Amino acid sequence: MTDAIEIRDLHVAYRRKDGKAVEAVRGLSLQIQPGEVVGFLGPNGAGKSSTLKALMGFVQPKSGECLVFGEPSWTESSRRRIGYLPEVAMYYPHLTPLETLTLYGELQGLRGASLRHEATELLRLVGLTASLKTLNRQLSKGMLQRVGIAQSLLGSPDLLILDEVTSGLDPLGRQELRTIIQDKQEQGTTVFFSSHELAEVEMLCDRIIVIHQGQLVEERQVSRLKDELRKFTLAYRGDLMGVRALTDATNGVTTASFDSKEDLVAALNQASRDNVEIINVVTQEGSLEDYFIETIREAA
Amino acid sequence: MVWRALARGVILEAIRRKDLWVVAILGFIIVCSAGTLGFFGMSGLESFAKDLAATVLGGFSTILAIVTTGRLLPEETRNRTLYPLVARPISRFDLLFGKLLGGIAVSWISFLILCLMTGAALAIFGVRFEVIMLQYVLLKMLGLVVVCSVTLMLSTVMTPSAAITMSFVILFGSGMLSRGLLMAYSTASPSVAPFFQIVNASLPQVSLFDIGGRAANANWGLVPLWVIGTLSIYMACYSGAMLAISWAKFRRQAL
Repeated sequence: MTDAIEIRDLHVAYRRKDGKAVEAVRGLSLQIQPGEVVGFLGPNGAGKSSTLKALMGFVQPKSGECLVFGEPSWTESSRRRIGYLPEVAMYYPHLTPLETLTLYGELQGLRGASLRHEATELLRLVGLTASLKTLNRQLSKGMLQRVGIAQSLLGSPDLLILDEVTSGLDPLGRQELRTIIQDKQEQGTTVFFSSHELAEVEMLCDRIIVIHQGQLVEERQVSRLKDELRKFTLAYRGDLMGVRALTDATNGVTTASFDSKEDLVAALNQASRDNVEIINVVTQEGSLEDYFIETIREAA
Repeated sequence: MVWRALARGVILEAIRRKDLWVVAILGFIIVCSAGTLGFFGMSGLESFAKDLAATVLGGFSTILAIVTTGRLLPEETRNRTLYPLVARPISRFDLLFGKLLGGIAVSWISFLILCLMTGAALAIFGVRFEVIMLQYVLLKMLGLVVVCSVTLMLSTVMTPSAAITMSFVILFGSGMLSRGLLMAYSTASPSVAPFFQIVNASLPQVSLFDIGGRAANANWGLVPLWVIGTLSIYMACYSGAMLAISWAKFRRQAL
């Protein structure tokens, strides 16, 4: 199957104002399968936006290749299949959201009454029905972000590229966005987005890609990562053979921690055999934030 | 269709931004000034009035065309409205051409509003309508295409303020520069003379499109059609060249 996105050995360099060349992306390679929702993570200045800009053809890579559904990403036929939300969403201040979407829709090749219907529906979907005819300059940052999300969905693209997607959105907006992305995923749309909101990433993504200083640091399945980060704590009364106690018995209760479900089950079986009284079993979900910070620290 | 959509966006923004209000106010000032002169009985000055009107029209419309077109692309970049545009399945040439069409349309609308106002002012003076006035309007509109294309080209190669300043210098000073270059050409040695000729040819000859002096003088006849045809070809070639330079710079520009 052709990858929805394939980036091969991408190098992106900029010339700073002082004339010095800075390499923002250094030999990045990645693949995203059709239908996947992938989070693109990295600290500020890691090269996320530069990668997305190269993918969209906004900057010319120094070397390397970006393919979308097997075609160079900068071609018009590729871009017809992409919906893009830029990092800072700004739209013509003197146009209304409806006019903005109509303009972008026409550039997308949509026409007439069907375009108007789709634009109105998308604005309803992002909760802007009441602001259809309000000028963009009178909208709040979060509402503009909603206009941005709506415009990225025009023409039902096969691939959504969203740069800092939750930026400026309130909790309600984030929840609505989650629903939209989940709906799109069910329809088979591929979603590739960068975000600093790790909770969103955890809830939405099948996979995460972490980059630092323009290089790939880690690529993980979110479900597997969550399993790895999960910790189990067992509280028991008695003497459990082969289990390393975390705390000494207080009031006769001892606690022990396990990194995997298998270890916990083994300990419970042992407890059953040894007639040890189980007081409590606690599951602690691991923090993606801690994992992210640790990964970046290790990479640095 | 893409070009039309982009151009319509530019026009809509210009209207909402109240740019055209500035034009209407300028026109209103022209009418009021003319009315005041008429009130004090300055009759018999038809040629003077027409000449003055043509000068004012020419000046204001060129200024408005430069200011409108000069900020089209830089504002897109500064306001970050460019990204959702270039993310669409359109080429950068489409984007440039659509924006240029929008700039030309706004300049033409401004010019025509000013023409209507000036026409009203001239009517106060008792000036009668003549066909050469239509020729003046037509040629001025062709000249505005050159003005817009030069300004757009400059805005792709320099900072917005530098582009607008440079446009003013080139477009208002082209006549003077041309005369200077022709004088230099006539006195230069044969080895250097072609250089002056090339520089002169590369300057936008917008003064050729200004027949205000001819329109003001009742004794001069209409402009022959072949002249209008030739100027149309010049406009198309020169604007095409400016657009090609803009595209060459913009097509690979990092955004």
